[in-house]
Amino acid sequence: MHSVTLYHWEPNANSGKPMLALMEKGVAFTSHYLDLLRFDQHKPEYLAINPLGTIPAMVHGDRVLTESTAIMEYVDEVFPGPPLMPADPRDRWRVRWWMKFMDQWLAPSFSMIGWKVFVGPAVRSRDPQELQAAVERIPLPERRVAWRKAITGQFGTDELEESQRRVALGIRMLEEELAKRPWLASDQFSLADINGFNLAYALPVAQPALSNDELTPNILRWLRTIYARPATRACWAMGRTSMVERVKILEQPHIAAG
Amino acid sequence: MSLTLYHGEPNGPSLTVLATLFAKEVPANLKHIDLARGGRHSLECAQEPLVAVSIEGEGPVLVANGEAMTDSVFIACYLDEVGQGAALRPADPYHRWETMKWCRQMIERTAPAAALLGCRAHPPQADAAMLERIGSVDLRARWEQILAGQFSEEQLTDSRNKIGQAAERIEAQLTDREWLMGAYSIADLESYAWLAGMVPLVPEAFAERPRTRAWLARVRASPAVAKALSLARTPEPAASWSVGPEINRWG
Repeated sequence: MHSVTLYHWEPNANSGKPMLALMEKGVAFTSHYLDLLRFDQHKPEYLAINPLGTIPAMVHGDRVLTESTAIMEYVDEVFPGPPLMPADPRDRWRVRWWMKFMDQWLAPSFSMIGWKVFVGPAVRSRDPQELQAAVERIPLPERRVAWRKAITGQFGTDELEESQRRVALGIRMLEEELAKRPWLASDQFSLADINGFNLAYALPVAQPALSNDELTPNILRWLRTIYARPATRACWAMGRTSMVERVKILEQPHIAAG
Repeated sequence: MSLTLYHGEPNGPSLTVLATLFAKEVPANLKHIDLARGGRHSLECAQEPLVAVSIEGEGPVLVANGEAMTDSVFIACYLDEVGQGAALRPADPYHRWETMKWCRQMIERTAPAAALLGCRAHPPQADAAMLERIGSVDLRARWEQILAGQFSEEQLTDSRNKIGQAAERIEAQLTDREWLMGAYSIADLESYAWLAGMVPLVPEAFAERPRTRAWLARVRASPAVAKALSLARTPEPAASWSVGPEINRWG
């Protein structure tokens, strides 16, 4: 069996997806933590592994894999352990539909708000010249733009309003979907749930007016059930920041409307 | 299993799904709709959430036993799984990863650029009543922008660059092979579907790339694509465009 090394940041968003998928499958891996707030992902030693400087990346034997959702499908197919994709082709389609919807439409809106309230303030106190140099090392032009905006707090009002509109709509859609079945995309736990938990684990903290036990009981049931899984507990215990600590809200038996 | 495919002209996402359907010999009831006039929004299933909010933009809809499915690459994966004959994704998990990653690049970077350039050259049409029916606020905003002819130079340049980058990736990928993933796959169909119409619009992207041009001809001549193209109702289906996915909001 080839060894697995995962280069990741916090159990959150893209990094958390392959972390949790590997742990659900029971695959042992070498964890290589990259501090996103210290720009570890743009340093030469990591760019030698992933020249695009995006996190996460997984090295399996001599194979290097990037793109968190595609990595998850690979992890599910290549390793033994409980299947994380349903067997029925239509269920599989639904898993993929939801993952794309979250990856490309909903998560960027969550992360724009997250970068404004967490990432931007976390790095802004640093030496401006150090920050400038760090931004110039970023290989992808669109990531340079995003980082500049986060550092200078320059997300426009229109952009943020549009992100908030999408977050509100996304929450309604998740709630309606989770009212239909136990898990997001099928009757069994799947990659869509892993993906969704990474997006939504702190929802009642981040969006208390939109997500709580009164307004979104199905989302809360779903988040608590995933949080109770041993793999999720072990995965979130690998977190190092206050951002990830927010998961503890799911330990409360009832979260009232904020 | 009862399948109905609502599709537009064989170009873009409709071409991917039609060609996959034919390659996998999946029997389905084919219904032509005019995506360039927003025909999808009059379907009975138009307001179902996974149709209304599909981020592909104006793509086909496959109704399978009452469930309306959208997003062409994932419909193609579904057809690959239920159909017969040669698989349209590699068997090896690593090469499957490569295929999904390739298609994601196409969906996220190439498709928005191609749809923008295609719609500028061959504008889709809509009236106020049709726009009213669109369930997604952001899709309606893209329609309005295109109908108003609002294309910035920056957007156009960026889109042409993205077509050039796609052709560059294809040219490099074809160094040692005929098809993008080794064997004929969904990656060939999806890439061809978005790029065939770009040859006249961004000729510089293809001029110095002989392997890419030869590959375009090979895909066009492949039986499943040829059969899909034979369904065209217009003389040049690659000139038929409707509103596509949005350009990544982060840049």
